[in-house]
Amino acid sequence: MKRFITAPAAEPVARVTTHAGPFRSAKIHRPLLALLLGLLPAADALAAEAAQPATPLGLPPLAVPADNPQTPEKIALGEKLFNDKRFSSTGEIGCVSCHEPAKGFSDSPKPVSTGVNGLNGTRNAPTVINAAYLDSQFWDGREPTLEAQSLQPFVNPVEGGLADHRPILDVVRTDPDYRAAFDDVFGVSGEDVTMDHVAKAIASFERTLIAGDSPFDRFYFGGETDAMTPQQIRGLSVFLVEGRCNSCHVIEQDQALFTDNEFHNIGVGINDVEEEVPQFAAAFLKAKNAGADVDKTVLTDPKSSELGRFAVTSDISKIGAFKTPTLRNIALTAPYMHDGSLATLEEVVEHYDNGGFSGDSDHANAYLSGGIRPLGLTEQQEDDLVAFMQALTSPKYAALAQQAQADDAAGAAPAQEPATADQEADQ
Amino acid sequence: MIQAIRSAAAGTLAALLTLAAPAVPADEFTEADLQRWNDQFMDVVEEGRRLWGSGELGTNRLACGQCHPNAANTHPETYPKFQKQLGRVVPMWEMVNWCIRNPLEGEALNPVDPRMIALTAYIRYERRGVPMEPGKH
Amino acid sequence: MSKLNRREFLKGAGLLTAGSVLPMSLVELAFADAKQNFTFAYISDSHIQQIKGNQFVRNWDRGLMRAVAETNLLDPKPDFVLYGGDIAQLGSKPEIDHGLELLSALRYPVHYALGEHDYYLDLGEYWESQLGPQWYSFDHKGVHFIVLNSILTYQDWIDKWPTAEQRMATMAGLDNPNGSPFMVGGEQRAWLADDLSKVSLETPIVVLSHSPLQKIFRNWNFWTEDADQVQALLRPFEKVSVLYGHVHQIQYNQIGNISFNSAMATAWPWPYPRSYAQAPSHMPKLTVPMNRADPFFERDATGWQLIDLHSGNVDLHYALYDNTNRVVAFNEQTGQPEDTRYQDSGGQVPAQMHY
Repeated sequence: MKRFITAPAAEPVARVTTHAGPFRSAKIHRPLLALLLGLLPAADALAAEAAQPATPLGLPPLAVPADNPQTPEKIALGEKLFNDKRFSSTGEIGCVSCHEPAKGFSDSPKPVSTGVNGLNGTRNAPTVINAAYLDSQFWDGREPTLEAQSLQPFVNPVEGGLADHRPILDVVRTDPDYRAAFDDVFGVSGEDVTMDHVAKAIASFERTLIAGDSPFDRFYFGGETDAMTPQQIRGLSVFLVEGRCNSCHVIEQDQALFTDNEFHNIGVGINDVEEEVPQFAAAFLKAKNAGADVDKTVLTDPKSSELGRFAVTSDISKIGAFKTPTLRNIALTAPYMHDGSLATLEEVVEHYDNGGFSGDSDHANAYLSGGIRPLGLTEQQEDDLVAFMQALTSPKYAALAQQAQADDAAGAAPAQEPATADQEADQ
Repeated sequence: MIQAIRSAAAGTLAALLTLAAPAVPADEFTEADLQRWNDQFMDVVEEGRRLWGSGELGTNRLACGQCHPNAANTHPETYPKFQKQLGRVVPMWEMVNWCIRNPLEGEALNPVDPRMIALTAYIRYERRGVPMEPGKH
Repeated sequence: MSKLNRREFLKGAGLLTAGSVLPMSLVELAFADAKQNFTFAYISDSHIQQIKGNQFVRNWDRGLMRAVAETNLLDPKPDFVLYGGDIAQLGSKPEIDHGLELLSALRYPVHYALGEHDYYLDLGEYWESQLGPQWYSFDHKGVHFIVLNSILTYQDWIDKWPTAEQRMATMAGLDNPNGSPFMVGGEQRAWLADDLSKVSLETPIVVLSHSPLQKIFRNWNFWTEDADQVQALLRPFEKVSVLYGHVHQIQYNQIGNISFNSAMATAWPWPYPRSYAQAPSHMPKLTVPMNRADPFFERDATGWQLIDLHSGNVDLHYALYDNTNRVVAFNEQTGQPEDTRYQDSGGQVPAQMHY
C-alpha cells in the first residue's frame, strides 16, 4: 500500500510516512561486493568474479557509455590503477590518496586535498561514490565524464605532479601485470596502450561505486517505517518543507539523486572576496584567453578557485557557482563545501539558515543563487535536519568506515576484530 | 376484498413502473436554483480574486497576482502532476501552499480552509474552457 | 579591415561561446564606423516594494543588487546605463529612495525613464525632484536618444480617484480591470515632433519607453494607446530602435523601420499573454519567448541586458541567470531583430512554455 507524505495541514510540518515504491533491483550479492571493495592488491582471482552491482534502492539504473561496457576484468584493472601510487612525480600519490574507501572515497577530514610534496590544493575532494550518476565531474563541472576526469589529477602540480602522462604509460606498458591486464581487457599491448584505455578502466571501476539502500532509502522507497528514527523522519520533513533542500538536492517520487546537476552560488568562499571579484575575474579571463589551463589554475590559485563555474564557461551568471554535490554518504565526507570551509553538518545547516553566509561574513554576496534565502529554522529543526542527513549513508560504506575505525582503535593488536552486528546484517 | 385492493394496487404499481421510462430525475432543480448556486459559486470566485490581489496571504505583502496576473501560468488543468518543487505528484492546492510558504513567506493553508477553496475556485474560473491535461509539466 | 560582422569577429576570437555573455570580452571591438563603437547596459523594473519601515521585499532587492553587481563587472565598460522604469512598486518615497540607493552602486552614468509604478502615487513629483524631467533627449556618439513617459493616461481617469493611494494601487495591479491604458499623450507627442525635427533622417534613434509603443495585450497594459501616432512620428528615420520595459519578459518586433525590444525585469518574470485563456493577445510573431521560470529560483527569468549598438541598430544580450543566455540581434539581411540561437524554431530546446 502506497502511503505518501501528508501535506501540511494548518502548520508547515508534514507528517511524514513512508513512501513505498517498487524495489528496483534484485538483491545484490553482498558478500561478493564487500569482498570486491575490501580487496587487497593481490586478489585478482576474486576480482575476476566481481560484477557490476545491481541498481541500488533509491537510485535509477546507471547509464553506462556504449564505448566502455563493464566487465569484471576491466573493473579489476580499473581498481588496480585507482590504487597505484606510482602515477605521480614522487611515487606516493594515487587516486586513492584523496579518495579512500573507508572515508566515503574522500580524504575526510581534510578541508582541501594534499598532493605530492605536501602541496595543498584549493578544493575539497568530492566522493567518488555515485559520481557515476553526475552529468559532470569536479566542483565546477570542467570535465563531462568519469573518463575525462580521471586523467586530470595525474598532471596537476598540486596533485600527482606529473608533467604529462608518459610516466604512466611507461608503467602500464612495461609492468607484467598491467601488460597482461590491458591485453586481456582491451586487446592492446605496447604502444597501443593509451591513456584512453587507462581512463576507461578507471571509470569502469568507479561505476561500481554506486550505493543507495541507506536508512532513508529503506524508509522512503522501501516501506520500512522503522528504518529511520523519529528525529530523522522529522528531519526529512524539514528537508522537504521548511528547508527547501530538495529543489537542488533532489528527492523524487521513486528515486533520489540528491543533486540537480546544476551550479549554484550559495555564498561559500566568495563572500570574503566579493569586492575583488571584478579584478580577479577579469584577470582570470585574460589568462585563460592567453592559454592558461583551467584545471591547473583553479587548484593552485585560491581566488581563481572561488570563481567556480564561471572559470569554465566565462558566463558571469555563474560567478561563484559550484555543482550541487550528492548528499548520499555525506556523514562520511566532512568537512563540506568546495573549499572544505564548513566543518560539520551543523555549520552547513546554519549557513543555509542564514541565507547564504556564515563565519566571518554577515551578508550574502550579490551573485547569490535565487534559491538561497534565510530559512527561519528553529534549533530543533536544524538538529532534525542534521540527523536526517546522517540517514543517507549506504551500509557498505558505513561498514568500511566502521571497520577502519575499529582497525585504528585496535592499533598494532594482531587479533582479528569480530564483525559488528551491522556488518553482519548487511551480509 | 383486500385481495382485490392488493391486486389493484399491484396493478397500478405495475402500471406506474411501466410508465417509468423516461425516468424521473432523482435530483430536481429549477433555473432559479441554478442561478442561486452559481451566484454562490461566483461569490467564492470573487473572494478568491480578492485574495489573489490582496497581499495578505503571506508576510511580505506579495500578492499572487503580481506574478500570476489573471491567474495566468498556473495551469490548473495539469493537476495532479509531478511538481518539481515538491518532488512528488500533487494536487493543485499543495502547489498553492508551496507558493504561499515560499515567495509569499507565509503559512500554509489547510486544504479545506475557505481561503484555499476560494483561491482554487478563482484559478480554475480564469482557466475555464481549457481541456484537462493531468500530468503535463 | 573589412567590415566584419561583430559576432563573427568575436566568435573567431573564441570569446562569444554559446553560453557566454558578451560583457567579458577583452578584445578591442572594431566596427566599420568607429563613431558607433559603444555599448550600454539596460536595467529595468526593479519594483522595490516596502513591507514596512526599513523592510523591503528581499526578493526584489536581491534582483536589483545582482543586476547592478554584474553590470559593474562589464569589461570593456559600457558608456552608460539606461533604466527602463518601475524603480518602485507603489511609488512611495522610501521605495524610490531605496531603489536609487541600490542603483547608486553602478559605476556609470544612468539615464532614467519612469514607469507607472513610479508615477501614479504623486504624478511624478518625487521622481522629478530626484531625477529630472519625465521626458527628454540626449545625443551620444552620433546617436539620438529619446526618453519618454509613455505610461500617462486619460486625464479624467487620473482625476476620478478619491486618494492617491487608490489610484496607485489600481494601476499597480497589472490585471486590474479598473486601470486605464497607457499613452504618450498629445503634449508629449508635440514635444517629440519638435525634438525630432532637429534630427537628421540618417541619425540612428533609440527611444527609451516604459510601455511598448505597440498594442500587444490590453488586459495587462502591454499597450500604448497612441502607438500609431508615435510610430508615425518615427517613421521617416532610417534606423529607429525602441527599448521598452513593463512586460518583464523577452519580446521583440519589427514594424517598418522601427525595431522594438523589451527588457526583462530584475524583480520577477511575467507569463506571456497567451497563457491567459480568456482574452486574445497580439504578441509579435517574431518573438521567441523565454522559458517559463522555476519559482524556487527567485532570479530565474529575471535579469538585465547589455546592448551594443552597431551600425545604428541594437543587439540585446540578455543575461539570464538560470537559463541559457539569449541574444536578440538586429539581422542586417532580414532587417529585423532575431534570436541568434532560437529564431529558427528547429534549433530551440524544448522550452518550458508559458501556458
